[in-house]
Amino acid sequence: MKFYRKLPGYMNMWTVLSMVIVLLILMPNLTILISFFTQTTDNWEHIKEHILPLLLKNTSIIIVVTGVLTILIGTSLAWLISAYDFPLKGFFKWGLILPLAIPPYIAAYTYNGILNYTGIIQTTLRNDYGIRVDQKYFDIMNIPGSIFIFTLFLFPYVYTITRAFLANQSSSLIENARLLGRNAFEIFFRVVLPISRGAIIGGASLVLLEVLNDYGVVKYFGVPTFSTAIFQTWFSMGDLNAAIKLSATLMFIVFAILIFEKVLRGRKKYSYTTAKVKPLTPIKLTGWKAWTVFFYSLLIFSLGFLIPFIQLLDWMFLTFEKIASPVFTQLIMNSLLVAFTGAFMIVIFAVIIANFTRMHKSWLSKSASRITILGYSIPGAVIAVGISSVFIDIDNLLFTFYESFGMEASLFLSTSLFMLISAYVIRFLAVGYNSIESGFDKVGNKFTEASRMLGMGMTKTFFKVDVRLIKGAIFSGFILAFIDILKELPLTLILRPFNFDTLSTKAFQYASDEQIHEASLASIIIIVISGIAIYLFHQVLEKEPK
Amino acid sequence: MYIQIKDLCFSYTNQGDKTINNFCLEIEQGEIISILGESGSGKSTVLRLLSGLETPTKGTISIGGKIVTDDRTFILPEKRGIGMVFQDYALFPHMTVAENIQFGLKGYSRSEKKKRIDEVLELVNMEKFKKRYPHELSGGQQQRIALARALAPEPSLLLLDEPFSNLDADLQIKIREELKQIIKKTGITSIFVTHDREDSRAIADRIITMRDGAAHEWESLCTVRNTSNTYDYEMEIMS
Repeated sequence: MKFYRKLPGYMNMWTVLSMVIVLLILMPNLTILISFFTQTTDNWEHIKEHILPLLLKNTSIIIVVTGVLTILIGTSLAWLISAYDFPLKGFFKWGLILPLAIPPYIAAYTYNGILNYTGIIQTTLRNDYGIRVDQKYFDIMNIPGSIFIFTLFLFPYVYTITRAFLANQSSSLIENARLLGRNAFEIFFRVVLPISRGAIIGGASLVLLEVLNDYGVVKYFGVPTFSTAIFQTWFSMGDLNAAIKLSATLMFIVFAILIFEKVLRGRKKYSYTTAKVKPLTPIKLTGWKAWTVFFYSLLIFSLGFLIPFIQLLDWMFLTFEKIASPVFTQLIMNSLLVAFTGAFMIVIFAVIIANFTRMHKSWLSKSASRITILGYSIPGAVIAVGISSVFIDIDNLLFTFYESFGMEASLFLSTSLFMLISAYVIRFLAVGYNSIESGFDKVGNKFTEASRMLGMGMTKTFFKVDVRLIKGAIFSGFILAFIDILKELPLTLILRPFNFDTLSTKAFQYASDEQIHEASLASIIIIVISGIAIYLFHQVLEKEPK
Repeated sequence: MYIQIKDLCFSYTNQGDKTINNFCLEIEQGEIISILGESGSGKSTVLRLLSGLETPTKGTISIGGKIVTDDRTFILPEKRGIGMVFQDYALFPHMTVAENIQFGLKGYSRSEKKKRIDEVLELVNMEKFKKRYPHELSGGQQQRIALARALAPEPSLLLLDEPFSNLDADLQIKIREELKQIIKKTGITSIFVTHDREDSRAIADRIITMRDGAAHEWESLCTVRNTSNTYDYEMEIMS
């Protein structure tokens, strides 16, 4: 295709802005990849020899076991909920998504608080029954403990994607298998698992990316992984270079997972047909079968939401008066400020890029779209390293400029909120983008084309037509990004300006300082806001005509 | 010739078959042309290329002596002054009938806008529906509004993409007659795309048939004109 012919169609503000945004996203990531191949330091040699093998070992164990467990729990629940009717199914259907509202780091210190020597289980056993237990059975601050937390609080990724697939896509195949006389287990293993492979792998890879992104759980449990090692080399050893090299190694693991997902999924998408499909009709379970399924769902729901939530509520009532103070109000204001600003910028950037990519179908727009969603797979610690090295470089460049204004601080940008917000934008742009892109997809291009045939340019069309038609998608993109930022820990922890605390950083600090009770109020606020959002989205998704 | 299309080539994918291959067509001012073909024959693509919604890989298009597409020029769709009625009408759902029509009236004063809206609504016989929203109209009514909206800015060329495909069969015949009268009344040069030979016969002055040849290669109309039986394009002159 002759590019120069297409050029006039590209020459507009949308293309230029999209390219600028994409480059800005790319810069910190490229910095990391490039510096992987440049000079090494003594620290790096040491890390490579003594620490890296351990990191790789821990990370692989956690990833593999968590992956398998989330697939087992997520897929089995998705199947039971879509194919059967049992007591309280309607509640479990969305209740089983709720564990996502509890960020794993909050779950980690809550469970530790429940299980440790002073926790409710051991004190009850000691005081009421006089039983003293061996601490090693109640210690979750290790690799199996991290796997337990990740599995319980991340399995909903597999559950939601697989359930959506099963509910909409599979009815004819499964009903045929039933008519052919297959029993429930045969159907599950020989039909359900194979056909929903794409959905399961898609959900599981989200879980793994979240695990790699995690800093709070492994830091709190003292399990050495990449995230903690990156922080440590950077802040304790003061070796940004070695931290970058670790980040690059972690990035390669992420790419490996993404490629692995592509290969495993093959050309299959989550949906294999676009034709109208009717939902699966559930079979009513009775007797012991119904109750087994009910207790299984109840067990997962209790462990993944109910128990930690009630424990946090209990702690909150204990400490409420002490914690609720003007300082705490300031925390809320800070959290709202960064979440609002971040989500606002994410939505604006996402709209610009989505509008560009839908108008032009070419390699350029395809790569723009890929890069936009790339950030969501990059762990927070890596983005933090990349973005601070870029900002420090910019500050060094601007040093004389600062001087001419008589400013004292030489690291002006790299100590500002601006850096933190930019990091949020890179990490969560995909969240806003996916929502807005699917909004555009649903509306199609016909209204835009009609407007242009009536003499309106791209920009006027955007404000007079497009925005009006996708405002729902823009709003949901905003809310999703807002909540992700509110819960976010590693980026906020590293990149926040001095003395700037949010709900999540403060909760984590309290917990790290053995003040678990004090962490509860901030945690509850985060969980309730996320929970409401999850509920609303679940309602919207259910009502939406398929 | 008012509209000249020469050696137009286009494909939707970078490597795949050409959707349009050396397409040529000349149209006189005021003529009503019908492009007839089965789905997938590329007939709608010709409209999209004419309107500027797609960029051809090769070829020239000129309208009223002005080149809108060639190797060096590409006029954006909003600058071409072409009106288009979309297959599913694409009436803006968040605007009333009057607002939809007013949308294209750039550079009109307020009173001129009002006058023009009334004019075109009278033309399509829909004066009473000014304040309605598109979803409050029937399919046939929506189509008339789409036509009114396309005609309002007084375009130099009117394109209609499968204008009857969303209408019931008996309505189709009635609307077809109306459409012909409206277009004749305005005297505008029009091209409409259809898969229905009856539609073509009823409205068009001239019918261009597009066919997806077995070889996936279409001879240009310019050459076909002399040897029309042997090639994939045929042209029927209706008198």
